[in-house]
Amino acid sequence: MKTIKYFFTVIILFSLTACHSVKEFENDPKGNFDALWTIIDEHYCFFEQKGIDWDEVYKEYSRQISPEMSQRELFNVCAAMLDELKDGHVNLTASFDVSRYNKWWSDYPQNYDERLVEEHYFNFGLHQASGMKYGVLQENIGYIRYASFSSPLGEGNLDAALSYLATCQGLIIDVRDNGGGDITNVDKFVARFITERHLMGYLIHKKGPAHNDFSDPYPYYIDPAPTGRIMWGKPVVVLTNRSTFSAANNFVSVMKSLPQVIIAGDKTGGGSGMPFTSEIPIGWGIRFSACSVLDSNGNITEYGIDPTEGCKIDLDKDLAAAGIDTMLEKAITLFK
Amino acid sequence: MNRHLIISLLTALVSLTAKASEDTDSLRIIRPVTSAYTIEAGSAKITDTYLSPLKYTGETFAFGYERFQAMKFNPEKWIMQLRIYAGLDYTESPAQNVNMWGFGLSASWDMMRRYTVTDGLKLAAGGITSLNLGALYSTRNGNNPTSAKASWNVGLTGMATYNLKIKSLPITLRYQPTLPLAGTFFATEYDQLYYEIYRGDTKGIMHFSHPFNYFQLDNVLTADIRFGSTALRIGYHGIFTSTKAHHIVCNMSTHSLVIGISGEWISLHSSKKITDDTKIISAYY
Repeated sequence: MKTIKYFFTVIILFSLTACHSVKEFENDPKGNFDALWTIIDEHYCFFEQKGIDWDEVYKEYSRQISPEMSQRELFNVCAAMLDELKDGHVNLTASFDVSRYNKWWSDYPQNYDERLVEEHYFNFGLHQASGMKYGVLQENIGYIRYASFSSPLGEGNLDAALSYLATCQGLIIDVRDNGGGDITNVDKFVARFITERHLMGYLIHKKGPAHNDFSDPYPYYIDPAPTGRIMWGKPVVVLTNRSTFSAANNFVSVMKSLPQVIIAGDKTGGGSGMPFTSEIPIGWGIRFSACSVLDSNGNITEYGIDPTEGCKIDLDKDLAAAGIDTMLEKAITLFK
Repeated sequence: MNRHLIISLLTALVSLTAKASEDTDSLRIIRPVTSAYTIEAGSAKITDTYLSPLKYTGETFAFGYERFQAMKFNPEKWIMQLRIYAGLDYTESPAQNVNMWGFGLSASWDMMRRYTVTDGLKLAAGGITSLNLGALYSTRNGNNPTSAKASWNVGLTGMATYNLKIKSLPITLRYQPTLPLAGTFFATEYDQLYYEIYRGDTKGIMHFSHPFNYFQLDNVLTADIRFGSTALRIGYHGIFTSTKAHHIVCNMSTHSLVIGISGEWISLHSSKKITDDTKIISAYY
């Protein structure tokens, strides 16, 4: 019977330790504002790099919160506060609006005109394999347009495109206006351009709520595509603009580290933080950067990646009106 | 003979082998298996800060199976129990615009020393080991949509059973709390993505568990209303789990109504018959 007594003693003792508490916020303007500020405070990963004093931000914006404010007014204050992060991966999502920070691309020339390329270089004759369009330029240079890393990218699609372009002297991969998507598609694409295991970069995540509580950089690698897949060993030019963002930014970062690859065009838009999602009591979703992807030299690419030296070029609007894409023309000259 | 045949068929239906054993003493010992199949439905509350800091509420559904049998080496004093439990939770955020699903599968085995307090009341306590797998899934989240759950624990379990009769209907009441004490469990680091784990960054994802970082109290309260060898089981099942690792807190609680069938089955054949020198030792009734 002693066993029974011990058993219940243990049960009672440990029951006293039971529940781990979770910070709770009221579903009113102040509660929602505080919940949002706290989520960012505890999870956002670029405070130090961006020199943001988040406590000061709280002081500035919390003054604008009042119990009587409407949902739209609250949303606007919260969105303005989030803009202080200057991060294209930060969005506040309500049923009536989505906040977004645009200056990473809107302050710069767009540098891409889809119709200009499709009409004047391919006479609307580009082939399409899932999310990829491809064709051969007059100079016998292959061209692949990949508009979004969210678009499916199968091994068969890559085989189809690369085998079609196999006789070309080089390859242009156009990721202008590619806003990112599934990072595993980066792996699939890059795997066609390497012959041995390659260091893609480093991954870092928050280990705790303190602003500088980060994991050690974890190196991650990519292996070449499996035997039997179509590989590409000839020169490659990757065309970029300010709207090349997130997973596309990561793609450019990895491609830039390959010896046969040149990056041409405009600086990319950055967005190296892998976004997490959370929410506040009113039901609005909040997306924010929580993990950082570094390039293979251990550098942060949140602010974008510069083109290869001497390969920076914008789209000339006057020439574009005449059917010339000066960025694509620049890429073509790089093979000569 | 027909009775024996029916009993044997019932045993086949539950797809379990009920092994009778023979004692080396003068009495032949038979250890029947008590099995129960139950379904459960009730309420669920979930907070997992990896997915959301908000408390989700909704429904829980589960299927449970358990079997008891007296141990071969000392059947009067020692019993064992096997439990398998599959649960599904469907919950909503406070604003009711996001859903969180919970899936769980657990299997446990325990061995308890039992004490006969009175003719009707028996108490038992012992050790338990359990393996638990599951996941929470948020319909809103992008890169962090899932919080995977995996644990292996050893702990304590105890049981009180009381046999009574209402008019001529035998009823067995049972209360059984279970508490894991130590083991290991999976938890990502604070804001670690599963993509990083897929990439091989597995450092620190397994944790030594103890009641201060992995607390779980499982309470079962049932009544078996017995009709011959089969019984109608009704009752309550509550599971409260609270874990904390890498600053990620997960609190889950379910309260369910239990309904099912249970029964005590004996496998008999020509070499194992009930005779005058046979003693049947039930682990449960």
